[in-house]
Amino acid sequence: MKPIGLATICGGVVSAAVLWAADPLSRPAAAGLPPAAPGTIDFERDIRPIFAAKCLSCHGAEKQRGGLRLDHGKAALEGGNSGVVIKPGDAAGSRLLRLVAGLDPDTRMPPAETRQSLSAEEVGKLRAWIEQGAVWPTSDEAVATQIPRSSHWAYQPIRRPTPPVVQHREWPVRNAIDQFILARLEQEGLTPSPEADRNTLVRRLSLDLIGLPPTPEEVDAACADPSADWYEKVVDRLLQSPHYGERWGRHWLDAARYADSDGYEKDLGRPNAWRWRNWVIDALNRDLPFDQFTIEQLAGDLLPNATLEQKIATGFHRNTLTNREGGVDQEQFRVEAVVDRVNTTFKVFLGQTFNCCQCHDHKYDPFSQREYYQVFAFFNSDVETDTPAATPDEQKIYDQQKAAFDRKRGELQRAIQDYKAQELPAKVEAWEKALTEAERKKLPADVTAALDVAPEQRTEQQRQLLINHLAKTDARLGELTKALTAHERTAPKLPVAPILTRGQPRKTHVMIRGDFLRPGIAVEPNTPAVLPPLRPSAASGSGPTRLDLARWIVSPDNPLTARVIVNWVWHKYFTRGIVPTLEDFGTQGEKPTHPELLDWLASEFMARGWSLKELHRLIVTSATYRQVSHARPELLQRDPYNALLARQSRPRLEAEILRDSALAVSGLLVRRIGGPSVRPPQPAGISELTYAGSAKWVESTGPDRYRRGLYTWFQRTSPYPMLMTFDAPDSNLCCVRRERSNTPLQALTLLNDTVFVECAQALGARLVREKATTAERLRHAFRLCLAREPLPAEMDILSRLYDGLRHSAAADPAAAAKLAGQVPPGVEPAEAAAWVGLARAVLNLDEFLTRE
Amino acid sequence: MHPVHEAMLQTRRDFLTSSASGIGLAALASLLQRDGLLAAPNPLAPRAPHFAPKAKACICFYLEGAPSQLDLWDPKPKLNELHGQKLPDSMLKNVRFAFIQKEGARLMGSPRKFTKHGQCGMELSDFLPHLATCVDDIALIRSMHTEAFNHHPGQLMMNCGVPTFGRPSMGSWITYGLGSESDNLPGYVVLTAGRGSSGGATSWTSGFLPTTYQGVLFRNQGEPVLNLNNPEGLSPEMQGKTIAAITELNRQHLIRSRDPEINSRIAAYELAFRMQAAAPELLDLSTETKQTLEMYGVDRSDPNIQAARGGGKGQFHAFAKNCLLARRLVERGVRFVNLYHASWDHHSNLDAELGHNCLMADQPVAALIKDLKQRGLLDTTLVIWMSEFGRTPLGENRPGFAKVTGRDHHPFAFTLWMAGGGVKGGTILGKTDEIGWNVVEDPVHVNDLHATILHLFGFDHKRLTYRFQGRDFRLTDVGGNVVTKLLA
Repeated sequence: MKPIGLATICGGVVSAAVLWAADPLSRPAAAGLPPAAPGTIDFERDIRPIFAAKCLSCHGAEKQRGGLRLDHGKAALEGGNSGVVIKPGDAAGSRLLRLVAGLDPDTRMPPAETRQSLSAEEVGKLRAWIEQGAVWPTSDEAVATQIPRSSHWAYQPIRRPTPPVVQHREWPVRNAIDQFILARLEQEGLTPSPEADRNTLVRRLSLDLIGLPPTPEEVDAACADPSADWYEKVVDRLLQSPHYGERWGRHWLDAARYADSDGYEKDLGRPNAWRWRNWVIDALNRDLPFDQFTIEQLAGDLLPNATLEQKIATGFHRNTLTNREGGVDQEQFRVEAVVDRVNTTFKVFLGQTFNCCQCHDHKYDPFSQREYYQVFAFFNSDVETDTPAATPDEQKIYDQQKAAFDRKRGELQRAIQDYKAQELPAKVEAWEKALTEAERKKLPADVTAALDVAPEQRTEQQRQLLINHLAKTDARLGELTKALTAHERTAPKLPVAPILTRGQPRKTHVMIRGDFLRPGIAVEPNTPAVLPPLRPSAASGSGPTRLDLARWIVSPDNPLTARVIVNWVWHKYFTRGIVPTLEDFGTQGEKPTHPELLDWLASEFMARGWSLKELHRLIVTSATYRQVSHARPELLQRDPYNALLARQSRPRLEAEILRDSALAVSGLLVRRIGGPSVRPPQPAGISELTYAGSAKWVESTGPDRYRRGLYTWFQRTSPYPMLMTFDAPDSNLCCVRRERSNTPLQALTLLNDTVFVECAQALGARLVREKATTAERLRHAFRLCLAREPLPAEMDILSRLYDGLRHSAAADPAAAAKLAGQVPPGVEPAEAAAWVGLARAVLNLDEFLTRE
Repeated sequence: MHPVHEAMLQTRRDFLTSSASGIGLAALASLLQRDGLLAAPNPLAPRAPHFAPKAKACICFYLEGAPSQLDLWDPKPKLNELHGQKLPDSMLKNVRFAFIQKEGARLMGSPRKFTKHGQCGMELSDFLPHLATCVDDIALIRSMHTEAFNHHPGQLMMNCGVPTFGRPSMGSWITYGLGSESDNLPGYVVLTAGRGSSGGATSWTSGFLPTTYQGVLFRNQGEPVLNLNNPEGLSPEMQGKTIAAITELNRQHLIRSRDPEINSRIAAYELAFRMQAAAPELLDLSTETKQTLEMYGVDRSDPNIQAARGGGKGQFHAFAKNCLLARRLVERGVRFVNLYHASWDHHSNLDAELGHNCLMADQPVAALIKDLKQRGLLDTTLVIWMSEFGRTPLGENRPGFAKVTGRDHHPFAFTLWMAGGGVKGGTILGKTDEIGWNVVEDPVHVNDLHATILHLFGFDHKRLTYRFQGRDFRLTDVGGNVVTKLLA
């Protein structure tokens, strides 16, 4: 008995039977095989019928289990994923024969439960055939060159449908999107909803495009704008805002499983991970076309004359986890990182559950395990490196520090030289005079030899020898040297960025059952056959590269990428994708609700040069987007998930945007863009959850306390609680769709978390500072937080709340002062506290947490 | 009545009678009813499983690091005889170790004294005198095996059924399947004592399930739940008024927007307030008798011994208190309680460190079993003792170790146990070979264990599924057989 090699496999449960299986290699070779059939074997007469009857349903043109096919000579003799199964002339060494003869009871072929086992006579024929050289006529060459076809919609070319004509002339059509949506509503007998109020639209656009609520002034300006294109002006302003890159960058960070630490037990920090995040924000702000955006992130390092920025873009695939736990097999986790790169690439850009093929052929979609490792091969030779990547500011600081450092080092070095040249010779003289005979005997031979020579007759070499000897024990020199060494340790370092580069070429094998300890046949880089073929550039003489893969992904004839990306963007606006399963465009995913719209958008996206900003503009200027989000009773009945879009949706804001909104309306938000991650206050005891409390949370002070949520340091084993409570992804796997839960912990966070209490205090003080009367302050609170005036009934509830809070607060002025934080001058503590309490209530309204 | 509730009721009454509100509550209710908005499903509402369950609640001890089964649960006289001998090369050929160097590795016996206990005659080590008095309630599985041999992957395997990220933990699955019986506490609660563990928060993740089913971390002192306490200076009375106003404003908005999600939000805020009252009450042990506190050893302080790998200061008290809190949580309807304690990874100084940890854990864990039993809760409460793998019969000889005093990670054979909740007490399941290297009888894979646990909760593990990325996922992945020998 022997334990198995330990596999970490998707869906991989190694059965107990295999666990205790005898080692097949230890069995005597031909024992147990039936005798070979007598006479000469004719393949067509004796062998093909056996294959056809017993093997081809799993190893034929349709399916190739284990990568093996037996309907075609060349393929059959090449073998399966595990290697050759037919060795001409060597029956005992041919795995095929051992399997069909049932020599290894646990892996009999065909499997015992099929009741298709070969008779001894059939095995005997196969044995004879192999012993006679396994001759296979070449009549079926054409079979193997068949390209797998699939009728599944997502693998068909993207067409450009003509937008349908809507019968209801009175319905608003602002662009082609509306024609597709309205035509479907017409079919279903539903009517669209009216356009939302201007203030709602301004808040909606602002939250969607830059992830920040509008100021009351921005709302007023838009509402008062008499021009016909007031709406487009708002859209333009927001698309040009540098905060756009932060908002949409955060969405992309989800897909890239971005974090500031390694993950796994040790979970060490990644202080330079933000370099890639900066790249994303910048790339989106300058509207780098999505095809180029993709190429640079997957293969920026391989572009001709790659710039530093293009190399930093490859940080996309440096967000994989690193396991530094003691005693891990480094190769195992290197392979896991490569696996993650393959899976993430196929999920994010192509919407495929290709990850299933790590261990076996895909159960539903037309991808084989062998193809998985062909894609794996694109990434298999990569190495993780860090490249110097100073920003101009950092370079300036570095240059200054380096100059100061060099200056000091020069001084220290000179001091040592001077001391050696000027003071040590005199010390040698004194030492020599004081030297006793006993001491002299202990000295090294060359030193005594030099001492034997009279001082004035010593060679330069001998003088130096004596100086060096004394230098070893001289206290003053020791101090000087120590000072130099200490200084060397303070040498300034140039900031670096984590990137991916090509290392030594590495051979790629299929991994049997996904286990890196069980290499199967070797494979070369290639893309799945069901999709359009890879066209490697002529330059890559040594076979296709990651760059070729990246270009293949964004080539116009790839049927998936543009569809997947427009769907991803669409879902952020309507909370639901046209294909609701964003991560699965395969046969098990849900079908598109509006297939023609999806194709139209995809083709339009490519026609507009893969510009994301143009795609955003197209979607947000549609009448579909501009509808009210209120549900009509019949819509709740007919279309509870709002798949048909007879209204807008009301998504709860994402974790980061909720934080940003609270900070923004209270006036605390620091709008600095980019830079290293920060550590805003988090409840005590969170970082103690990390392995032996290894990740210390040193709270940021000053402006960094109030930065946007996407800059919050993300420690994988103890993520920032507020983010997790509001469904931010855990960053261990790529995430293209966030959950939106609704829990009591969310209520407690918004009510009591230090950050939100500080926001309530700042907002309360702001209300008092900026408005004079109670009514004005109440209205101001609504305008700041909800971008609208309170209704009379709401004013009534608000003013009763304010009175009630003030009444309670007055009972305990000391407590009131604590709640108020900083009491504005001339204001009673109870009044200040009541405004903080009121601000806190408004910051907890469902409408504040929601994009209407 | 709690001030929060009182204030809410008062404001409700105000709201109902106030003409300025524009709409009365009765009218509002009927409006909501008409629009089908009152029926917004509560994701934590109690649900029936596939068949009548034995267990209603689970208390799961996770001893992170892998306690040595050879020194606690699985006596190996032959290993003691062979102490200092090499293993044949054929046994080592295809094995990977975390730290052991195959060259020079020697078998290491155990200095522990094993004796038989109870009617079932279960043999336990002298490190476990208290648990020894519970053996007739315990089902011991000596034939566990797993697939991962590093801590974090092993913990993912044990908690989520596969050694990779992204899957829900067992507590999440069970809460997803059954909902919660508690109106004012979360359905899935996590308590930790001592230092952090390898897995951190990934151990109680809800994976692809909604966050509602994620383990909620409770602390055993101070603020029991994150952000439970009101801001400084804000009285419960003010909180009551605030919540009442938030609720009424949300209701106003609900009438306009008709989004059922607002109803869930209102319910979430109300639960949050009830939790503000219920969670501190949970931590208040003043209603427990002196006898109970002594039985658990809540007031014990850490013994003054050298235990470098131990889980930090004050853990004797913290661990015992967690055990008692676990019972209190289950009494209050919480579905799944996870108790974490790290530092069972004894690569060196095993005797002293394991002894120290057992001194900490043995008494309160045994007390919990007895306490549950005397209160009639053990029949419906499943208690589990688990870790990610076991430890090697070989001594650990990693380079740099002056002496061999510990054991390495061992996934091929290890021990865990369950009690209560429908398991057959006094069961000793499975056998390992003479040195504890491999399982030789009744192997139990992690997926089998999970299938069995789900069975106790009334679930066919193949039917408790969640559709994600086009596939129905389950806790047992693609494996798992119920181990019927464990069932009462």
